[in-house]
Amino acid sequence: MYRGSYTQQYRMNQPPRVLSTKDCAYLTDALSWELLAAKKAYSLASQCSDQQIKHQLEQISQLHQTHYDILLNQLNTTEHDHEHSGYQGYRQ
Amino acid sequence: MDYTRSYGSYQQRYTGSSGPTIKNPSTQVQQSQFNDRDCLNDMLATEKWLTDGFNVFAREASHQSLHNDVMHILNETHQAARDLFNLMFEKGWYSLHPEQPGQIAKEHQKFQSYESQLPQQQRNTPYETGVMYQPRQF
Repeated sequence: MYRGSYTQQYRMNQPPRVLSTKDCAYLTDALSWELLAAKKAYSLASQCSDQQIKHQLEQISQLHQTHYDILLNQLNTTEHDHEHSGYQGYRQ
Repeated sequence: MDYTRSYGSYQQRYTGSSGPTIKNPSTQVQQSQFNDRDCLNDMLATEKWLTDGFNVFAREASHQSLHNDVMHILNETHQAARDLFNLMFEKGWYSLHPEQPGQIAKEHQKFQSYESQLPQQQRNTPYETGVMYQPRQF
């Protein structure tokens, strides 16, 4: 579906904001890593007796949940599809 | 030597150092079951494994926004591993061994002499700001 809109209209200086098949494969891998890491840190926190360690592991569980949301957002095509047409080159 | 204290961490045993070991007093844990130290070790191993995965992902990502997100996650995962390591060090579950000063001086001298092989000779003194790699601008 993207082939028509991205061929030879202008020379692109970097890849457009489109998920490749490889991106998608990495994203689904990474999502499952983060899901497991978040669950694992939470589970380990519940087993710990030292409050400092428990707190650190809970923080890390929270971090992996945040990462999960960042990755999930990259898979949210309804948001990104609109940005393709307005692609202006380099954006942070 | 008290072997019951030195189980479970992945660090190598260093034998050749003369300097004093850098280490906090070990926090005691129950020896038999899965204890607090095992929890931290397990999570640290997970974070290390994740940084490997995200490093490859960051390198292979196609567009800039995806690359930036993955770099951000990679950085924070390194920070998490660092925090776990520091906490384990604080609990006395990691020890470090200083290299002998003579050995460090020898290596410094060696690589200082190799510096003449570098192609660009107009370098500034180390750590001085100024010449830095600039990303390509669009």
